[in-house]
Amino acid sequence: MSKMSYSIPIGPIHPALKEPVMFEFEIEGERIVGVDFKVGHVHRGIEWIGTQKNPLQILPIAERICGICNISHPIAFCMATEEAAGIEVPERAQYIRTITAELERIHSHMLWAGVAAHEIGFDSVLYLTWRVREKVLDLIEYLTGNRITKAMFTVGGVRRDITEEQYPKIREALNYYKEMFNKLKHVFLDDKTVRMRSRNCGVLTKKEALELCAVGPTARASGVKKDVRVDHAYAAYGDLDIKTVTPDAVTGEAKGDVYDRIIVRLLEVAQSVDIIEQCIDNMPSGDLVTEPKPAKLLALLRKAVGEGVGRAEAPRGEVIHYVKLTGEEHPYTWKVRAPTYNNLMPWIPMLMGEQIADIPIVAASTDPCMSCTNRVTVVKKGRVDILDHEHLHKLSVEKTRRLMQ
Amino acid sequence: MVLPKSFKRSLWVFHINTGSCNGCDIEIIAALTPRYDVERFGIKLVGSPRHADVLLITGPVTRQMVEKVKTAYQQMPEPKAVIVVGNCGSTGHTFHTSYNLVGPVDTIIPVDVYVPGCPPRPEAIIDGVVKAWLKLETLEAKR
Amino acid sequence: MSKKLLTPEELVKDLKQAFKSKIKDAKIERRAVGVKKKERTALWLKADKESLHDIVKHLKNYDYPHLAVVSGNDLGKTIELIYHFTVYYGNPLQEILINISVELPKEKPVIPTITDIIPGALVTEREKQEMLGVKIEGIPDGRRIFLPDDFPEDVYPWRKDEKGPQKMVRDLYEVKK
Repeated sequence: MSKMSYSIPIGPIHPALKEPVMFEFEIEGERIVGVDFKVGHVHRGIEWIGTQKNPLQILPIAERICGICNISHPIAFCMATEEAAGIEVPERAQYIRTITAELERIHSHMLWAGVAAHEIGFDSVLYLTWRVREKVLDLIEYLTGNRITKAMFTVGGVRRDITEEQYPKIREALNYYKEMFNKLKHVFLDDKTVRMRSRNCGVLTKKEALELCAVGPTARASGVKKDVRVDHAYAAYGDLDIKTVTPDAVTGEAKGDVYDRIIVRLLEVAQSVDIIEQCIDNMPSGDLVTEPKPAKLLALLRKAVGEGVGRAEAPRGEVIHYVKLTGEEHPYTWKVRAPTYNNLMPWIPMLMGEQIADIPIVAASTDPCMSCTNRVTVVKKGRVDILDHEHLHKLSVEKTRRLMQ
Repeated sequence: MVLPKSFKRSLWVFHINTGSCNGCDIEIIAALTPRYDVERFGIKLVGSPRHADVLLITGPVTRQMVEKVKTAYQQMPEPKAVIVVGNCGSTGHTFHTSYNLVGPVDTIIPVDVYVPGCPPRPEAIIDGVVKAWLKLETLEAKR
Repeated sequence: MSKKLLTPEELVKDLKQAFKSKIKDAKIERRAVGVKKKERTALWLKADKESLHDIVKHLKNYDYPHLAVVSGNDLGKTIELIYHFTVYYGNPLQEILINISVELPKEKPVIPTITDIIPGALVTEREKQEMLGVKIEGIPDGRRIFLPDDFPEDVYPWRKDEKGPQKMVRDLYEVKK
């Protein structure tokens, strides 16, 4: 019997979260034998826009590269510009940067956990995690004034202080997460449904993770110890006692499957809580910003010549910005690299050999800036069936049901 | 409490991201989840524009997404309403000069409600949906 | 990792020994952060475009080099590509960022691919092709990645010359009369 393969395009529009991406799968029966993807549906030309503006005008754009990592991008841009212009950042500002970055990590990982639960048809957990997530959003709003875009940073420091009167509320929220941590751990790691759908699913071996330059929790789940916070000191991370999180701390070995990625993200939430506590315990006093007057700062930046690289560990992995200043009003070059950029290629080995019903959870497991899928066209023997996101989601839910029996 | 007349039918929403930064998108999901919980009014996200009453659009519309937005709009049954969530879909906002943008959304398809904010809070998004709801009720009454 | 970790100075010395005049300029940058003033290290190298492939191969002797990204500058007569690698990750505070810059003449901006050494470089090489108009020799998949398929062939968004995106630019704030 000759094997027939057919192709399914998926995307680019989908109803739930995040950005459009188009996949094209080559399928034999239920098994995926070929993967191709088309990204760039949300290409706005941000890097080019940046070369038309001055560094302080770039800051709001850097925040809007990604609505979820809107701390990591400005922090990386600020570091690159500071390096290029030779600006030192006050110690207190570095600690405040660290605290906000870790708050962002908690909110992003909770968001991801909910999405992952939704992808396997476990919507009650989606609602649970998103309710838990609101607590950190409240804290972010209390500290920065906004829920999502925080506008905390400027070149050479931060724009808002975190004062001692605010500590009780921070501690209260952190204690809430400490209490919730065991519950969430139980829900995600001990649950039969989650384990069945995620164990040995979407495997990325350590060798593949290295070769395909995976970053962030995706790489760490495969056993690659790569965490900018630990390896390459920035902000206050050099002062803190932190270790790279890998799943072998819980299970003894790093398999690199979806389950391991869940472990890494859960442990990182606990780690973030710990980091914030360390930061507020050791917060140094001092200035918030090197040059508080924007006009003077701009004049300084206009004169600066040099290039710099800023790297920060976003919730999804390493963010790297390259800035070249040539003594003009606008930066000569601004290159942005988001973590999903490097986590595109690892999708291919992850999805190969999996079933169609596993596509949503595997694709979502790298926490891409795109998540679930919408319109699927199945081309089979010349007949075209249009499947939408609901059908794909239904397939995924049915698989969970099947496994439960 | 007596619910206003406009709450008598449930409203289904289809969401398209045409180049937004996800900020609005996560606030839309936040509006659906327990804190704000619009699902108690029957508002929910659906998987196909063919089932939807309301089209939620976020983002300044990139070159690649123009045709897709038009198709999704055409697939929706009448009466329909379009809501643009966020500043960049309404005007272009920080991305206003670019080589790969075609928007804002109202140059491509007719828009009924604009929700300003970058990103708007979930309360503002809910308010936008309610405004669209009133519009749908009016359209329905005229038929 | 059992191998001995080289200090940045040793690393530069070793590279210079292996490639002699092919590496023109090497500087080590250290930046101290936080209260304890722990340092992070970056290495900036300028290299010949012919020897880039060999240098990347040589980096494998130290550690599996993680290619973060390739960034690019249009310098007028030449196009500069900067390869950002990291080695020694997984060792707290000892990671070294290696930035290797190569310059290509604008008339013939050709550089060999490094996907045979690091397969994950494909995405960033595809991006350089469409954004800067560089030709990557031997790239396994030369299609566009971020730009739409109907984007004009001879427009490269990161160029500063007549091939730049100026004629494509639209201002969404503009009010039509």
